[in-house]
Amino acid sequence: MKGFYILGGYPDMKKFEEVFKYLAEKADFVEVGLAYNDPVADGPVIAEAASKVVKSNIKIDDILKIVEAYKKSKVYIMTYANIFYQYGLMEFSQKYGKLINGVIVADLPNRMHGFFYDNGFDIPIIPFVTPESREEDIEGLKGTKADFIYFVGVRGVTGSNVNFLDDELVEKVKFVKKMTSKKVVFGFGIKTKNDTEKVMTYADGFVIGTEAVKRQTDTTQFKRFINSIIE
Amino acid sequence: MKGFYGEFGGQFVAETLIPVLDELDKSFELLKCDKDFNDKLNDLLKNYAGRPTPIYYAENMSKKYGCKVYFKREDLLHTGAHKINNSLGQALSAKKMGKKRIIAETGAGQHGVATATVAALLNLKCTVYMGSIDAKRQSMNVKRMKMLGAEVKVVDEGTKTLKDAVSAALRDWVSSCNTTHYVLGSALGPYPFPKIVSHFQSVIGKESREYFENLGIMPDYIIACVGGGSNAIGMFKGFLDVESVRLVGVEAGGISDKDGEHAARMSFGKKGIFQGSLSYVLTDKSGQISNVHSVSAGLDYAGVGPEHSFLKEIKRCEYHYARDKEALDGCLELCKLEGILPALESSHAVGYFIKNASKFKDKTILINLSGRGDKDLEIILENMEGAI
Ligand SMILES: Cc1ncc(COP(=O)(O)O)c(C=O)c1O
Repeated sequence: MKGFYILGGYPDMKKFEEVFKYLAEKADFVEVGLAYNDPVADGPVIAEAASKVVKSNIKIDDILKIVEAYKKSKVYIMTYANIFYQYGLMEFSQKYGKLINGVIVADLPNRMHGFFYDNGFDIPIIPFVTPESREEDIEGLKGTKADFIYFVGVRGVTGSNVNFLDDELVEKVKFVKKMTSKKVVFGFGIKTKNDTEKVMTYADGFVIGTEAVKRQTDTTQFKRFINSIIE
Repeated sequence: MKGFYGEFGGQFVAETLIPVLDELDKSFELLKCDKDFNDKLNDLLKNYAGRPTPIYYAENMSKKYGCKVYFKREDLLHTGAHKINNSLGQALSAKKMGKKRIIAETGAGQHGVATATVAALLNLKCTVYMGSIDAKRQSMNVKRMKMLGAEVKVVDEGTKTLKDAVSAALRDWVSSCNTTHYVLGSALGPYPFPKIVSHFQSVIGKESREYFENLGIMPDYIIACVGGGSNAIGMFKGFLDVESVRLVGVEAGGISDKDGEHAARMSFGKKGIFQGSLSYVLTDKSGQISNVHSVSAGLDYAGVGPEHSFLKEIKRCEYHYARDKEALDGCLELCKLEGILPALESSHAVGYFIKNASKFKDKTILINLSGRGDKDLEIILENMEGAI
């Protein structure tokens, strides 16, 4: 499962449309980020890009219109809890439940999923596992409706450096797969083809974020980068 | 649900922090009943910080406004504000948990100074995050923190104020939580922080309650300013069960009702999820956090502690606001009448009282003076040209 994170509406709607369309045909899944002006889980590249999108006042519905028009691969929406909460948890899932395959909410830990579901949200929420997750945390994920489990490989924000073959990391991912019988996708910190090859020796997939967002402003470069990873 | 006050609160943070928050909760529950810990904390509160703080009957002010006005003097504490109560409690807990480093965020700088102070005292490494606008308007406090041996990291992102200092501290904590404790400065953020901070601040309400019990009366009103809500919740906790006491929180009304020109979350905000909890928050329809403004760096924050939202919802406490100008007038009035220079945060409580003095006629009012105004001198002088 090869996936890429791109930021909705960045640097403008036209370029976003072009990169989304390209990815929808090439990647196994696309994570579309909805910009938030307090992005605690993001590193400087994504945070700065998000702040530009927020200033340009782009609407969530306009981003999802593009998703609807070109969607071929699976699509997950990644953002922060207040974005969904203000949209209306029920309203969002009624409107987009059929279109999107899941959501990734950076500030909604697994134990708070119930809060979303109890308030009328019925799109699968992708659970997180981290190097710190305890056995009982992981066991609790067995019943998830989500397509996969998101492994946050880094203690830190997006764009940090990681040793992808660290024994503890590798063992943890293997343990999660065994314990939950779910696919595990590795996110945070992946930059190159070489990184993805290392990760794919033990995980079922990867997501590249910062390196993709960096190139959203230049669609030719963006496409070249995607090809360098996928081919 | 655990960690909620009614529908408010919760833990809206990265999954990475969940094990640390659990560990923190567990160790806090043990420590808060631990005799050694409490003896040590009480000793420091008394002999280092200067507790109990007095309650002062303000005769001149009472006479002028036709009521009985008392002040709880948290401004007399070491480092100049109630923040030291919480910093001592949390840093001592961190030490017991074996952490070698503490981090903090600060707006006005008071919480940063208090945390840097206890870090020096307890031999902990300390980093304080502060927005660049706040660092500029509270430059004296930046210098103090550095003298105390803390590293001050100036945050030049977003609104460059408290919100971004909190985000930066949270980001640091996500990467360092194995060795580091985050001394959150107010009764907000993810559970268990609101509980922990209000516990360490409840000493304000406890002492006040004792004082009035000894007098054989109860105040009719208690007024406290609300930034994140820690000095107010600490005070209110002592009186929640006394129905006759009306509890009033005063937020920063800034310069107008317009979005971006105030920080009155209870009056103009809505329910939302922000920096760890569900509470009243200043946010737009699309979920973006609004800009805020206050003349006082300690009050301009888009969110508020979840317990306050709950107390508003069940109508146990009422929340109002004072404008910048009313706070500045309150500040000057207290200087002139009583010879006390209050922090601009606390001045909001004073300003609200003065503006509504007719409502308080013949009543007994206790105002919490959360801190002293030395740190705000430049801002006061800048804004009150001609009046002084
Ligand atoms: C003197 C003083 N009072 C009040 C506050 C507001 O915070 P809280 O509402 O947590 O008491 C601050 C914050 O910096 C402060 O320095």
